[in-house]
Amino acid sequence: MTLRRRDVLKLAGLGAAGAMLPACSATLAEPDVTAEGFGAGATGTVRLWCRSATQTGIQVVVDRFNAAQKRLRVEVTPVLDSQYVTKLATAIRGRRVPDIVDIDDINSMLFIYRDALTDLTPLIGELPYRDALSPGHLRLATRNGHQYAVPFLADNSALFYNRELLERAGVDPMSLTGFDSYLDAARKVRRLGGDTYGWSIAGNSPGVLGFVVQPHIWAADARTVTGEVGAQRGDIAGNETVRRTLELYRTLWREDLLPRANFSDAATAWGSEFRANQVGLFPSNYAVAVLSADEQMRNRTGVVLMSGPDGGRAFFDGGDNLAIPRGAGNASGAWEFATFALDLAQQSALPTGGYTPVRSDVATEEFRRKYAQAVAPLDQLDRGYAPPTLAYNLLFNQPDSPFIAMFRQAVFDGDIDGALEAGQNGFDQILEQAQL
Amino acid sequence: MALSEAPVRAQATAETTRRGRRRPGRRNAGSLTHPTRTAWALVSPGLLFIAVFVLVPLVFAIYISMTNWPLIGSYRFIGLDNYSAVFRDAAFRDSVLYTLLYTGIVTLPIIVVGYLMAVVVRAKRRGSTLLRTIFFLPYVIGLSVLSFITVLEAQPDSGAINVLLKALGITDGSTAWLVSGPMATGLICVLVVWGVSGLTMVLLLAGMQAIPRESYESAALDGASWWEQEWHITIPMLQRTIAMSLILSVIGSFLAFAQFFILTQGGPGRETTPIVMYIYQRAFVQLQVGAATALSIVLVIVVGLISAAQFWLLREKD
Repeated sequence: MTLRRRDVLKLAGLGAAGAMLPACSATLAEPDVTAEGFGAGATGTVRLWCRSATQTGIQVVVDRFNAAQKRLRVEVTPVLDSQYVTKLATAIRGRRVPDIVDIDDINSMLFIYRDALTDLTPLIGELPYRDALSPGHLRLATRNGHQYAVPFLADNSALFYNRELLERAGVDPMSLTGFDSYLDAARKVRRLGGDTYGWSIAGNSPGVLGFVVQPHIWAADARTVTGEVGAQRGDIAGNETVRRTLELYRTLWREDLLPRANFSDAATAWGSEFRANQVGLFPSNYAVAVLSADEQMRNRTGVVLMSGPDGGRAFFDGGDNLAIPRGAGNASGAWEFATFALDLAQQSALPTGGYTPVRSDVATEEFRRKYAQAVAPLDQLDRGYAPPTLAYNLLFNQPDSPFIAMFRQAVFDGDIDGALEAGQNGFDQILEQAQL
Repeated sequence: MALSEAPVRAQATAETTRRGRRRPGRRNAGSLTHPTRTAWALVSPGLLFIAVFVLVPLVFAIYISMTNWPLIGSYRFIGLDNYSAVFRDAAFRDSVLYTLLYTGIVTLPIIVVGYLMAVVVRAKRRGSTLLRTIFFLPYVIGLSVLSFITVLEAQPDSGAINVLLKALGITDGSTAWLVSGPMATGLICVLVVWGVSGLTMVLLLAGMQAIPRESYESAALDGASWWEQEWHITIPMLQRTIAMSLILSVIGSFLAFAQFFILTQGGPGRETTPIVMYIYQRAFVQLQVGAATALSIVLVIVVGLISAAQFWLLREKD
């Protein structure tokens, strides 16, 4: 047999067509969540993927679930946070999906808009505590009125303060509302002298900056990303609240109210000065400000939600949602686990792993006594927000994101006008590409 | 091969004589020892391998590049839109310019340092083998590991680089190398020159050892200095090897990824984003596999053209 050029080309064409076939039907079958007995009495194994960062917290819940019954077993697969979206997307493309995913709420939209998750609206509607669930988490799981994930754990930002330093400086924590009060408090604490600083931030960590700087903007009911998903643009250059927020940090830096190490801290040392009793005001989360501190420091720590330039309150409604990917083999078992994870017993224990509950009804008197610094967001869950967008990682979380570039140019270089203009261009460019 | 071909040729000649002239391709049909048939049999596994693992994926990649293929979800054919978008993509343009800058900075030092190291270790004197090992070791360790080490050693106040510079009185030891585009680029360039020059040294050393010793002896008798021997004997006779090293270095620089991914992830801003990193981000952060594939194909063509140009410019002129 002679292998001619034409035959080789035919073979190559057939091979290419064969390779393309599996990718042709991109959407997996959606489990019937309305089927009789769904979410109860399931058997077998539930394969759960979680972020590495939340593994400790979720493993406690899984161990409790596995110990509570014998017919259904949950197996946890941790995936590195930075690779989570890619790995899950690849698994979906390869049609080998886990039964349930513990997914960063800001990434939920990516999968919802690609028809990769199961519509859980009827199931969430039946939950007796549905009205107590974090609205910010749910907003990031909702498309066209349908909910594709259920809140699981919260990782909220808030303004933690050192009671002892504030008292010595003559600052009333209750007066901490608005930028003038922040600057006043920071200056007074700095005047205590030595290595005591008014404020602290991880100035080279894109994730941290997005997490703790944006709530100032949201507290004034302003946004950095506007419009519906699919037709969004940045609101930076003409945004007075963004400008004033950058000016606040520029002043903190210029007046030496921030530790010098903040300039290069990529969150490797985030909160170390605060926990060492050297910082008065510290925007961060429960895990960094409280869980990682010793008992003495915890007793000194207070917390309020963050303010905008002239008041208001907001916090970053971060954390994880639980979602059932389309094509899940044991969706019923997955939902059974999800409802178990939302029970009060499990939710009440979340602060031991550094996270806070997503149910406002968890804040009982006992919970308040035990986890006093975890209560502030729970009491005002409606003030929680995170931008629903397909490009959160690109806009805020990546080292090359426009938000960190804008922040650093404004705060450390002092070029606020240039930073705002560059930020606007960066946001618009990314949002335009994200909508292709 | 020559021994086995002789009887085959004799048999074919005899047959042609018996049956008159025949078309060359039809000769000796069915014989496994026919040269053409044997050649096909020998190369077919290789061809099959190339077809399955290179040609088919390449054809598929070209197809993907003409769709809006996301990493998840459905896709549609969009023709050449991804390719036309390449020319409007300011971020891609910036990454190309940055890659050119990076390539321009590291290429010459890699060749020069590699050459100097080869000169130091080419003579068979005491300690040469140890020095060769030391010089080649960074390449064996690999850029990824070196990059991870550099992340630690470039930390302000605690990293060895800053401690050393402080001890020498050059800085105060608090330099944040990786939060400034120019400083991060400088650090990465030094790292790459250190990590890659060992390979250039080995390539040049092999070339140097192939130069006849008599050439140097004659030149020495004629009174040529060390530098004249290098300039008039070593470098001209290493032209092919230098050209190959140069081409490998340029291609490697154009495809640089690991060191940037580990050290800066393209930041601050987009100041240290080379082409491959940008393509990676489009594919696996923005999940736009179609657009990223189009960029990859453009990159393949560009690298191919640059390599062809280098081959042509650096060819030996007889």
